[in-house]
Amino acid sequence: MAEARPVSVDEATLEAYEKAKADGVETVFDRAARIKPCPIGAAGSCCKNCGMGPCRVPAPKNREETPEEKAKRTGVCGATAETIAARNFARMVAAGASAHSDHARGVALTFLEAAKGKLKDFTVKDEQKLYQLAMDLDIEIEDKETQQVAIEVGKKCVAEFGKQEGEGLFIKRAPLKRQEIWRNLDIVPRGVDREIVEMMHRTHIGVDQDYENILMHAARTSLADGWGGSMISTELQDVMFGTPEPVAGKVNLGILKKDEVNIIIHGHEPLLPEMMVIASQEPEMLKYAESKGAKGINLGGLCCSANEVLMRHGIPVAGNFLQQELAITTGAVELMTVDVQCQMESLYQVSTCYHTKLITTDRRAKIEGAQHIQFDEENGLQVARDILKMAIDNFAKRDQSKVVIPDQTQEMVVGFSHETINYLLGGMFRASYRPLNDNIINGRIRGVAGVVGCNNARVQHNANFLAMIKELIKNDVIVLTTGCSSMAAGEAGLMTPEAALEFAGDGLRSVCEAVGIPPVLHMGSCVDNSRILMAATAMVKDGGLGDDISDLPAAGAAPEWMSEKAISIGEYFVASGVYTVFSATWPTTNSKAVTDYLFEKYEDSLKGMWGFEADPVKAAQMMIAHIDKKRKELGIDKARERILYDMEKRRELDAA
Amino acid sequence: MADYKYEEKEKYDGTKVKVLSDTFEPGPTEVKKEKIAWRGRLMDRGWKMRYLQSAERYWFSNSWYGSEKRKNPA
Repeated sequence: MAEARPVSVDEATLEAYEKAKADGVETVFDRAARIKPCPIGAAGSCCKNCGMGPCRVPAPKNREETPEEKAKRTGVCGATAETIAARNFARMVAAGASAHSDHARGVALTFLEAAKGKLKDFTVKDEQKLYQLAMDLDIEIEDKETQQVAIEVGKKCVAEFGKQEGEGLFIKRAPLKRQEIWRNLDIVPRGVDREIVEMMHRTHIGVDQDYENILMHAARTSLADGWGGSMISTELQDVMFGTPEPVAGKVNLGILKKDEVNIIIHGHEPLLPEMMVIASQEPEMLKYAESKGAKGINLGGLCCSANEVLMRHGIPVAGNFLQQELAITTGAVELMTVDVQCQMESLYQVSTCYHTKLITTDRRAKIEGAQHIQFDEENGLQVARDILKMAIDNFAKRDQSKVVIPDQTQEMVVGFSHETINYLLGGMFRASYRPLNDNIINGRIRGVAGVVGCNNARVQHNANFLAMIKELIKNDVIVLTTGCSSMAAGEAGLMTPEAALEFAGDGLRSVCEAVGIPPVLHMGSCVDNSRILMAATAMVKDGGLGDDISDLPAAGAAPEWMSEKAISIGEYFVASGVYTVFSATWPTTNSKAVTDYLFEKYEDSLKGMWGFEADPVKAAQMMIAHIDKKRKELGIDKARERILYDMEKRRELDAA
Repeated sequence: MADYKYEEKEKYDGTKVKVLSDTFEPGPTEVKKEKIAWRGRLMDRGWKMRYLQSAERYWFSNSWYGSEKRKNPA
């Protein structure tokens, strides 16, 4: 009998998982082994959008269906397998877009209140980013007070959500040709909420029953996320908390400390985490921790809340999505806060096996059994202090005999915002993407890949990320990451400049050495995929690589995706002109027509398309093949002969 | 200067010359804990606006050339 595959490629995860098993704690890995995914739902062939169903319309297995069989494959209302698959896919896009955008709405409302001076703990930390945003939003800066500029920026951003007509204001950041493509297809997003609501309406029973029409609105909805909600979130967070700059950080479960109060901040929003960072460094709080027998306060992060405070403060990261339960099973965590998105309901059950307090902090995301402490922006710092005190008080209850913290931690360099890349490549007086473009044109860098997204318990933890990223950088493709992908790369040591020496191809290595950057750049949390859109746009605008994002030698991927947010991200990358390859699973395989539309026909209109390949190395090779195709189209696939022109040849040129 | 190391090399005409040897310290670079806080160097609004018009010129400046504004239009 074949030996079972380890659940992860990460040693710390395996060690913590073994401890969880020994402690009798069930984790996501055990549940994934016990619960098989529903094959009908996984293929997108189940419609439960009305009370006449759910209707299951699976295609025959391992053979072509006959026309008669195909005609019978409908729901009670007559919806075809195509309509059902497209509806399910589109609803995933709407849900993902809503998650990013509801996060963004909270940030925008907080920002506006802070700008008005009503929130004492939140201020404008990055004035430059505020002015940048003001100019984007056509706000005259003149001699206005900073506070006035901030109020106007806040009002315009809040209005973006409910806008009924016109175009999203950040659309004009995109390359001009891209904007033209969207306008010609009539998919420029209006208000964020409007597109999401319309998507839900269209996919209600008896509304939009043309799969192509549904999928084009899915593209529009996703653009309201990428160039709307997510972008608003990233930009306003930068203004309030600072635009990320390169900073050293640490990642993996080994960041937990045996003799300190360990507090984990988990979720996606940076508001409470920012306050926790401040409170955890206050001398009174440190004294209080010492009075309880601890040597200090150790703040660590999980998921994208972690990315936010890592990028801005170098706060260490305990791990990514599949490591959340394992952080608690170390027995060393006094308290875990969760806000929104990707937090498992099982956390409470796991926490009851140890002394860990699980605190929900957002009224939109409660967990039965967990204690709820509402994060109140008006008293943000005080809420953070109260939570920290609870954690410190809980330190005495820790049973040190139950504590096993894996040794593994990994150093990494993070903080590569679009602005910082621009600065690093060009300096203060001529910040520029020119060196990147030049190195792509001369072939040292073959292309650019965004490798992003979640973990998925159906695939070996971090394995797909690492196999794909290593294949890409080995072939001189520089990799941009966000979200859980960043942590996987960080845990494997791919986010240090030295990683280029070991893993990158000769060309990429020479560039990384010259600039002093890792071959894999951490660009932030999952809403920060908007930073990748900005980097791609800057490359286009700098010149030499075409007129549109679809002309770039670039590709995207989410090799361990699982959330609807990942589908929305993938969709807005495709709708922005990027070839985007997913692994793990694909949700429309029940309908060949819908799958072909996403994988092929999208390219005719959007100039970007989806791809799927379960094997991460083959998926990377598909991305590299696409990059090579784009290089050929740009005429930079071959080294050109260098000719030294003498005077006679120059005269010939002038005469012509 | 006293800490610099020199090595002897042969010039093209065969004569020996003393040249400066490696000036970096051996071993891995020590990771700096502090941030590269480049944005803090832009002190006032005037500097910030000038930087934006230069660094983000494709969005905020009229004087630039790139794929969308070529010297010699295609």
